[in-house]
Amino acid sequence: MKLIAGVDIGNSTTEVCIGAVGENGYFRFLSSASRMTTGTKGTLPNVLGIKAALEEAMDRIHQPLSALDLVRLNEAAPVIGDTAMETITETIITESSMIGHNPSTPAGAGEAVGELLFLENIWKGKPGVPYIVAAASKFSYEEVAARLNQHIPELDVRGLILQADEAVLVENRLSKKMPIVDEVRHISRVPEGKLAAIEVALPGTSIRMLSNPYGIATLLGLNAEETKSVTPIAKSLVGKRSAVVIRTPHGNIRENILPAGEIVFHGEKEANVNIDAGADKIMETLASAGEIRDIDGERDTNVGNMLRRIKTSMADVAKEHEGDSEIRITDILAVDTLAPVEIAGSLAGETCMEKAVGIAAMVKTQHLPMQKIAERLEQELHVKAVVAGVEAVMASLGAMTTPGTKLPLAILDMGGGSTDAAVLQPDGSVKTTHQAGAGELVSMLIQTELGLHSRTTAEQIKKYPMGKVESLFHMRLENGSMQFFEESIDPRYYGHVVLLAPGEMLKVEEDIPMEKILEVRRDAKRKVFVRNALRALEIVAPDHDLRKIPNVVLVGGSAEDFEIPEMLMEVLADYRIVCGRGNIRGVEGPRNAVATGLLLSYLG
Amino acid sequence: MVVNKPAIIIYVQKPDEDLLREVCAGIEEEGVLFQVQTHEGDLDALAYDAANESMLGAGIGMTGVRLAMQMQRLPRGKNVFELNAPAFWQCRNLGANSARAIKKMPFKSIYQTETIN
Repeated sequence: MKLIAGVDIGNSTTEVCIGAVGENGYFRFLSSASRMTTGTKGTLPNVLGIKAALEEAMDRIHQPLSALDLVRLNEAAPVIGDTAMETITETIITESSMIGHNPSTPAGAGEAVGELLFLENIWKGKPGVPYIVAAASKFSYEEVAARLNQHIPELDVRGLILQADEAVLVENRLSKKMPIVDEVRHISRVPEGKLAAIEVALPGTSIRMLSNPYGIATLLGLNAEETKSVTPIAKSLVGKRSAVVIRTPHGNIRENILPAGEIVFHGEKEANVNIDAGADKIMETLASAGEIRDIDGERDTNVGNMLRRIKTSMADVAKEHEGDSEIRITDILAVDTLAPVEIAGSLAGETCMEKAVGIAAMVKTQHLPMQKIAERLEQELHVKAVVAGVEAVMASLGAMTTPGTKLPLAILDMGGGSTDAAVLQPDGSVKTTHQAGAGELVSMLIQTELGLHSRTTAEQIKKYPMGKVESLFHMRLENGSMQFFEESIDPRYYGHVVLLAPGEMLKVEEDIPMEKILEVRRDAKRKVFVRNALRALEIVAPDHDLRKIPNVVLVGGSAEDFEIPEMLMEVLADYRIVCGRGNIRGVEGPRNAVATGLLLSYLG
Repeated sequence: MVVNKPAIIIYVQKPDEDLLREVCAGIEEEGVLFQVQTHEGDLDALAYDAANESMLGAGIGMTGVRLAMQMQRLPRGKNVFELNAPAFWQCRNLGANSARAIKKMPFKSIYQTETIN
């Protein structure tokens, strides 16, 4: 009896599968395992991850690594995916002239206009002039209230800006009602002596005057030209609970359209498209260019830099393969997105949603140096290692082990870096395609749209359902149902959105409503996977007609997702296609298709 | 008949007045009412009784410079937060958190300095 291992190196995970073959052709699957891919797919550092995965799988059947007789590596598709994101608009404030944020507890309500005056200079105030007073956090709430109360009889104080979180405390001690904005971090940047308008919204509503250009014009007495120039301010204040707009005659606020540049497609036809045109237009142009040889960006523009960055990061793979120094991007997936970007020159850390484009690119090299990996593996393990079988064919073979499938069979392999499709015909012929854009692009979209600090959090949001801890004994899950706990939940989670990873709860540090996270998550998945699935299947389908594919098996890491397969099923049902998550060998789920195919192909 | 106001109850024994004032300020800033009363028992008992007496379901116990925050239906001694000889900002946030417990908002940080400006 011989022990044989199939090894599949993917962009993000390395999967192995171990089987035993008897003399009489008797064959049995014994074990499987998966590990993170170490290094870029197709490079020598992969060996580390392969060894770790093999060890784990052999451990499960209580055998040493040396008991293996043969390792079969896949001829990995020579495509590597990468992602990048670039904003195409930006808002710049050259002179600090607005505050717009959501302090948890502002005080008072309504709007007011007045000249800005620091609390320490309040004695300089002249009677009859309306003032808006700004107080730094070195003054306690009692001092602020006392000083103001002392001057209110002769001074016309209309509103108050505080650095500390003490708006309610001050309001309760003031002899006059006025709107108070607090938690303004950089209060020293407030320009004294300038005219300012302040607004605090009623509870449960957002501001109305300052988020409207004509509202600002009314309060600050602007002419038509000036009103036009404050439009970006009004735009960035939409939805805020409190705001201050300061009139700075020479202040300059503008919304820059960055020189985003053009993408140039070198295909059967040359085509170019400005990145401003949006994702749909870009994808349309891509399709019209026919088969793509390379994709470039205009030099010294955002998109140019972005595509060059992707090519550079791929260069190490090319280096391993002499004579193939040129890296060519053969497919991209562009997605429209919005990114919250901190406004340059803001006073309280305000952000503005800027338009951005996320791009996943796929690099095709002539050939990945798989043979070298096999040689290295052989040296280190003292087990014969061979490169056997093309990835897509192996994946189809593996997918065939899913109960309930028949030929012709299409697979959709949704991994981390690329979405691959293949159709296996009854006569054994296989047609394949590789498309840029998969799980990693989804993570990137989630990260940018929610403004998350870490990619890990974005990945966890992608992977796990969530809930909101509403009391120390229960939480509301994202589908509306409640879960109760016998032991009290750790107070650190209280009031937070948590991700329900198996065996533990992960807290989302950022204060984002659950509904918003849900919307962004689903949207990102739909934008990437639904578009890619249709694009890929159309290419491999007989006569490019989706209806000629009877069944589609979803495999790969992203097929394990708890909602992507359902989304695809819904869309593909329109084409009368049976589509579902694969179940390799009836036990593995959508994982391990390629590794399984490698073993099956050994049997012939 | 004694009718409780919808307030956070603070049960105290010889409290440090400066710290207590900060706790109250924290609650006030969040817009919630509070009541300060002297009460018998150790720190755990003060906090536990305060939480159960409060119709809002949150209470604070304080003896000297020691503070504990408790919520209704949590077992005695299992305080949500405990502070010993804290800084002013910690008291302020403890007060704010007792109010946030009622408002079902995420707690402010009590033990690390990073959140104060």
